[in-house]
Amino acid sequence: MDMSLIESLRNALPLVSGFIYPNELELQWSILIVLYPYITGLVAGAFVLASLERVFNVKAIKPIYRLSLLVALAFLLVATLPLNLHLGHPERGISILMTPHTSSAMAMFGFVYLWYLMVVLLMEVWLDYRKQIVEWSRSETFWPKRIFYKVLTLGVDNISPRSLAIDEKLGKILTVVGLPSALLLHGYVGFIFGSLKANPWWSSPLMPIIFIFSAMASGIAAVMLIYMFLCWARDVVIDMPCLDTIGKFLLTAIIVAFSLEMLESLQTAYEAEEHFDIITLLVEGKLLVSMMLIQIMLGSLTPMFLLGLTQVVELPEKVRKVFYMLSGSLALIGIFAMRWNVVIGGQFFSKSLRGFTTYKMHLVGREGLFSAIIVELLPLVILAVLLYLLPPWEKESHSKSPTTAA
Amino acid sequence: MKDAQHLLRVIIIFVAALVGFLLVRSFLVPESFGKLGHYRANAVDDVLALPRHYAGEPACKKCHAQQASDKAKSSHRHMSCESCHGALQAHVDSPKTVKPSKPKENEMRAFCGNCHGKSLSRPAKFPQVDLEEHNRGMACNQCHQPHQPK
Amino acid sequence: MKNFSRKQFLKTAAGAALVMATRVFSTPLHAADKFFREPPWKRKKPYWGFAVDITKCIGCGRCADACKTENEVPREAFYFRTWVERYIIRRNGEVNVDSPNGGMDPFLPPHDPETVTKSFFVPKLCGHCENSPCEQVCPVGATFKTEDGVVLVDRKYCIGCRYCIQACPYGCRYFHPVLHVADKCTLCYHRIKKGLNTACVEVCPTGARMFGDLSDPKSAITKFYETETTNVLKASMGTEPKLLYKGLDKEVR
Repeated sequence: MDMSLIESLRNALPLVSGFIYPNELELQWSILIVLYPYITGLVAGAFVLASLERVFNVKAIKPIYRLSLLVALAFLLVATLPLNLHLGHPERGISILMTPHTSSAMAMFGFVYLWYLMVVLLMEVWLDYRKQIVEWSRSETFWPKRIFYKVLTLGVDNISPRSLAIDEKLGKILTVVGLPSALLLHGYVGFIFGSLKANPWWSSPLMPIIFIFSAMASGIAAVMLIYMFLCWARDVVIDMPCLDTIGKFLLTAIIVAFSLEMLESLQTAYEAEEHFDIITLLVEGKLLVSMMLIQIMLGSLTPMFLLGLTQVVELPEKVRKVFYMLSGSLALIGIFAMRWNVVIGGQFFSKSLRGFTTYKMHLVGREGLFSAIIVELLPLVILAVLLYLLPPWEKESHSKSPTTAA
Repeated sequence: MKDAQHLLRVIIIFVAALVGFLLVRSFLVPESFGKLGHYRANAVDDVLALPRHYAGEPACKKCHAQQASDKAKSSHRHMSCESCHGALQAHVDSPKTVKPSKPKENEMRAFCGNCHGKSLSRPAKFPQVDLEEHNRGMACNQCHQPHQPK
Repeated sequence: MKNFSRKQFLKTAAGAALVMATRVFSTPLHAADKFFREPPWKRKKPYWGFAVDITKCIGCGRCADACKTENEVPREAFYFRTWVERYIIRRNGEVNVDSPNGGMDPFLPPHDPETVTKSFFVPKLCGHCENSPCEQVCPVGATFKTEDGVVLVDRKYCIGCRYCIQACPYGCRYFHPVLHVADKCTLCYHRIKKGLNTACVEVCPTGARMFGDLSDPKSAITKFYETETTNVLKASMGTEPKLLYKGLDKEVR
């Protein structure tokens, strides 16, 4: 028996307030499950940003098209890691793919994930980079890298204008398919929580929709910050029209996400069902800081104010950059807090609606803070590797590539 | 067609991956899975094979006929022996070595009081006594025989 | 296709709409028939059900204790397959609920007993729901309903994702600290299949707990289901537990 777990639960017993079912003392989904929707959301958001360029022809954000794709890929590769780390039997995790239970939202997520990773994202990145992969496979002098590119060409080095035109066309189709797939991916994460009728804090048809829009906000904010950082690190001038456009989209996403959240709160408050009392206590108590202060005040209202200011007042470039950096960071923190409030907040109160349990995060261990930080930083490491192997900046613009599908 | 050859290779890779997946699946899915529903049919046998600790009233009656017939006439007639004496499958399996427990003299008031102590949450018709007032300090079985309570 | 003009298209569409509308209105309303679903125990033999008579429960906690012994449930105050709750309802509407060590420790006398209007014990356990949410959400099929209506966990197949624990509205599941799988009441499947009582029913001194074969028209449980005025917990969830309560107060959740 894991005595440290037992010990910590024994210590938690006197901290229970009100009445909870005895089995509810242990909070089942830890910080790792907070990371899961957070990371998946970053994927979906970054991909939506990339699609804006490709599908909706927002030319201003062309400089970050490839970067967004790579960010999405880097985070997607890690998305299932917190889930697997959290399992009681990680070695049996593969069963989700072997004998998926079709009525289980979690089982079906495996396939939504695989579809999105294999068919949409990897294909799109590959098609977009193929011309250069072939070129690099010829010109690269560092041999392991050359072999890597050679493998990626799949042994076909045909980059005739016609083959590239086919790639371009297919890429566009994939993005069009990818956009709903990205929304499905993250909407589905919302569904995993929203479909649990047992928990009134989760059970809501709005959950997937709120998750999608907050995902967009977080993904856009992440790409924006990474772009600004990379420009600084590479000593390159930031493309201001691009940054301004990203800022605009970030503002839109935050406004929609925030409005939906407030509408849902209004609905809950007005309907005032059986669970309303305990939810009021939850929001006014255990979630006061993480929800009222961090998620709403800092994570939503402040960036909305700052980004709104850039829209109505003519601000100098330097101020705008600071505003973007601030609101991007705040949005990321706020959305992390939102995931926390959903996942952890939903487990604080008893399903008897009569009391609360507690959650004490461990520092070490498989589900501790340190492993959460590693899971959170891992995508950035992967992104660095991706940027090294597939530098997004070494490319002539789309308009030069031969295409009829404009 | 020549210009789409790289895509053909992608398709080949995807098909190979799918075949590989199905192959792996055929090895990893447990043999009895799906026979009765979306689960491992053998799991039912695993549960059935779990050890038992309570023997059940009929097992007690086989040897302790006197106590059983006393109890059958009393107001404890609906109670099982193991309700007071605890889990006794081990005693049934090896009657010589494992002996049933009996409530000790000094614990008897608490033991009987667990059911018969006065509580406003208990059904009013259920026989209850105020343990503070009712013959303080005396063991219950000085007046009441648990196998033939009055 | 060229001859198929817009006018013709509209005509056809309107015609189709009319036909559909008449069909809807001409069908007699047999909604009530459609709501009726024959319970599975009318077709399958045996089919297990459980019942609790709250008016008989004395809160001795024998059931919770016996369950832990029989099923080797970890002896900690936060792992239970069955437990007993005490409800104390006061004149001012205040409701106090407690379950000291799942009801295995003595229930202490309430403060200000003169303000108590009613008080009672409620034993809780898995309802082996017909539409069980835990089985629904299990991603791999490690939680399942047997052919005779008992919801079980496959300890060799459970991956330990805890989704089922989140999905159970009744708090009847816990994460086993040794086996690292979800765990819950098996309705003493290893006993009932051999003709024995469940451990909790075996030790219950007042007959507050009952279980039996719902497919047997003469069984006591069938009689209880058919004749007593009963309710289930959180009926609005649509889980249809096969755990009926007699004397269930509105404050019980």
